[in-house]
Formats: sequence, C-alpha cells, structure tokens
Amino acid sequence: MKSRTSSKRTASNKKLRKTWWGYPRENGDVGSRNYLLILSGTLYANSTCERVARTLRHSVAITHPLGRCQIAPDLERTFETLVGHGQNANAGAVIVIDHHREEGCTSDEIAHEIAKTGKRVEAINIRESGGAIESTAKATRIGMEMLRELSTELRQEIPLSKLLLGVNCGTSDTTSGLSHNKATGWVTENVIKAGGRALLAETTEMMGGEGVLAAKCIKPYLGKRIWKMVEEMEERILACGVDLRGSQPTGDNMEGGLTTIEEKSLGAIQKAGNAPIVDVIPWAKRASKKSGLHVMDTPGSGGESITGIAAGGAQVLIFSTGGGHTINHPLMNTIRITGNPLSANLHRDTTDVEVTDIFEGVPIEVAGRRVYDEVLDVASGKMTKAEILYEENAFAINRCGPSV
Amino acid sequence: MTVTAMIIEKGDHVATCLSKVKRGSKVKLMHNGRTGKTIKSNSAIPYIHKICISPISKGKHCMKYGLSIGIATKDIKVGDYIHVHNIESARGRGDLEL
Repeated sequence: MKSRTSSKRTASNKKLRKTWWGYPRENGDVGSRNYLLILSGTLYANSTCERVARTLRHSVAITHPLGRCQIAPDLERTFETLVGHGQNANAGAVIVIDHHREEGCTSDEIAHEIAKTGKRVEAINIRESGGAIESTAKATRIGMEMLRELSTELRQEIPLSKLLLGVNCGTSDTTSGLSHNKATGWVTENVIKAGGRALLAETTEMMGGEGVLAAKCIKPYLGKRIWKMVEEMEERILACGVDLRGSQPTGDNMEGGLTTIEEKSLGAIQKAGNAPIVDVIPWAKRASKKSGLHVMDTPGSGGESITGIAAGGAQVLIFSTGGGHTINHPLMNTIRITGNPLSANLHRDTTDVEVTDIFEGVPIEVAGRRVYDEVLDVASGKMTKAEILYEENAFAINRCGPSV
Repeated sequence: MTVTAMIIEKGDHVATCLSKVKRGSKVKLMHNGRTGKTIKSNSAIPYIHKICISPISKGKHCMKYGLSIGIATKDIKVGDYIHVHNIESARGRGDLEL
C-alpha cells in the first residue's frame, strides 16, 4: 500500500507560518523536544546509559565507541561533540556517565560545560558509584526526578529566529538535484527570510561547486574559507595515497545515475537555495546567532555530518535522499524527504514527506512549502516516522587520527 | 514509447531520463517544464540515468547545471548513454597531477 502526502499543483494563498511551538531554555535557546539526555562520556559507560534510558520514559541515550586512547585533537573533537549535544536545546536535562577517569573527557568536565546553558545536568562515575548496577540505580533515580520537572514545562509560541534548521542529503541520485534538494533549498531560503538560520554541511560534496557557494557568501573571506576547506579535504584524501573514486560517488550514487563527485556536489548544493552564507565554521562548533545560512566543514558521511550539525545546535534537520533512508539522529529531529517515486515507495516506512510530484510538473515552491510546513510541525512536536520507530542510528563522531 | 528527459541548464550536454530507456526509443527533452525536441537513444539507459543531448569530444568537459561534472574519456554522440564508461571525474584523483 502506498501512502502519499496530499499534493496540490498550485501554490497556497495562505501566508507562510512564521512561528512554532517549543521549549524555551534559560540561555535563550529553544528546544523542539524536551528529552532527558543520557550521555555517555566513554564507550565503557555505553551499556549503563542504555540501561538507564530503557528504564526512563522520554529519555534518550547517546553512546559511541570513543573517549579513550585518542590523540589530543581527536579527544578534543569527542569532547566538543559531547558537550555540543548536551548543550543542544532538545535536551531539557542531561545525565553524563563515565567509567573511571578519562583524561580530558571526564563526565565532570563535560557536565561543567553543559551547565553553562543553565539546564540541569548531573555527572555520574561508574567506579565511584560502586559499579554498573549501583550507577544505573543512581542515574535512574536522578533521571526520574529530572523528568518529573521536565514534564511540567509547556511549549510556547516561538519566532522562527530561534530555529536552526540543519540540511543534509544522503544516498543521492540524479533526482536529488532536480527535486528534493531543490525543495530543501526553498525551505532554507524561506526559513532565513523569516529571520531563522540554516546549517549546511558535507564538504566532500562541495567539490566542484565551490564557486557557486562562494558567490553566496556575504563577505569574500567566507568564500575563501569554503575554497580552502574543500581543498584541504581533497588533500587529506590524496595524502592517504588513494583516489576519491571508489569511495565517492558511492555505489548507490552510481546506481542512481551519478557519474562523478562533481555531479553529486552540484546536486547537493541545491539545498542552499538562494540564501546568503553568513558564516563558515569547523566541525561540531556551535553556530552563531546570525540569521542566514551557516556552513560547517564536515565529511560527506551522513552520520558524521549530521552529528556535527546537531552539535552546532540544530533542533530539526531535513535529510533529503534519492535512494530513501532510515537515517535518524537520536536528539535532533530528522525529517526524511525524497523526490524519487521508486524510493518513496521502497522506503515508505521512514519517508516523512514525498516531493515526487515535482516530476509531474508541480512547482518547487508547492513541494517546498509541504516540507516547510512539516519542519514547523515537527519542531512543534509532531513525531517523525523514525522517531516513533526508535531509529537512533546516526550519532557518529568524526576523527582525524589513529587510536593510541 | 516516448520517455521524458529533464535538462537542468540551457547549454548542458546531458538530460536525466525519467524512466528506463530502450535502445532506439524516442526521448523527449524537457527544460523548465517546457518540452522541446525529441532525440533517439543509441543504447539502453537505466531509470534516471543520463542521455547525451549535444556532442562532447574526448578530453572535453561534460556540462550539467551549467558547470563541469567531469571529462569525456571518448567522443560522445547525441543519444549516447552517459555514465562512468565515458566520463571521469577531475577531482580527488590520486593518479593525476592536480
């Protein structure tokens, strides 16, 4: 059975909504969810985090294989990513759990940074708590009290200036640049016109499109930064003694008709729409408050790029896909959209919005508006399909060096 | 059966076929929602893959979105299937002096 979003061929006369409903935080940020985040500081705390999250309704665990035996720049990346997720407004309160003593990435240090937002945060050490069961009990009890408090908070009407919309694509094919990335670009443009912010990433998929993006920058130095970060990405690939071909485009990209990385990139950057680029930032750094399009330096790998975007502060993400996708970030609401009719059907279980009618002649603004409305609905509490299904597959910390 | 293929920018060398193309079938070109001329395909082309709509000489850039998506590794004629067998990337190449 095929479920389909109702589609109209003409643009609606109704004005675009300029507000959404969210949870205001002490530091001025606004969450689209009010989750209790159970954050693992290191891999040996992962199972405890999962036990706690399984016990507590409305909690979400973030776990990962890192936090130990990493060279300094990598450990710093892990630390910043974890802090960024704790600070993300979708976490109403946070419990950070670590194992023993992880130099430079302890639960105390992570919690200290998160506390700067004003939200309630607790650090728990498994060894000091008396082991796996004792720390689980301690975290569960604290978490239960936190959730009692969180559940009394009400959503309020919020201007779009408080929304940071992430945009990312994945499993691209030739329909990407023609349909769903175009619709995403329309949303990017209109969220920014209403005073909001958007965050574009995936440096590998800017290769061949640097000039187009540089021309959108409000200052020439930002354009130079885009050229430089793409050049550095290309150099890093070549320094491994390999060729980008064979990895990018991926097998599914080529099956979808994409021939080269340049072609993939030119489709990918359609997500920027005609919005002005106001800043270019490193991986997992918090985006500034300036209205406009922010660009983050991330790999093309979907899990890592959207983890960077979530650490940058985005509450909601449009993930536009040619092949269809199950990708979902545990904390940042991920809306999967596609314009490929075949994929919309094959991946119907996790496709939130279809824009397949673009190929039947429906204008981009009509399809784009459908996605825009979904973004505001999801920001205001509507659950995405993958959120309902507990698809929490896309937390991946980027690294630059070896394990030691 | 006639298949529709979408052109993105005027001057592009390629169009995206919106359904599977059989060898010798007619392909109707569309740009900005308007249909233009019809060409004949020289080979089978899979769903949403590209067809050549203006000739490219070996060593020349292949244009899509008004920009280069790679370089032709052989002469390509109108109606030819365009993919990895006749276009290669110019970026991230370990085997080339950049």
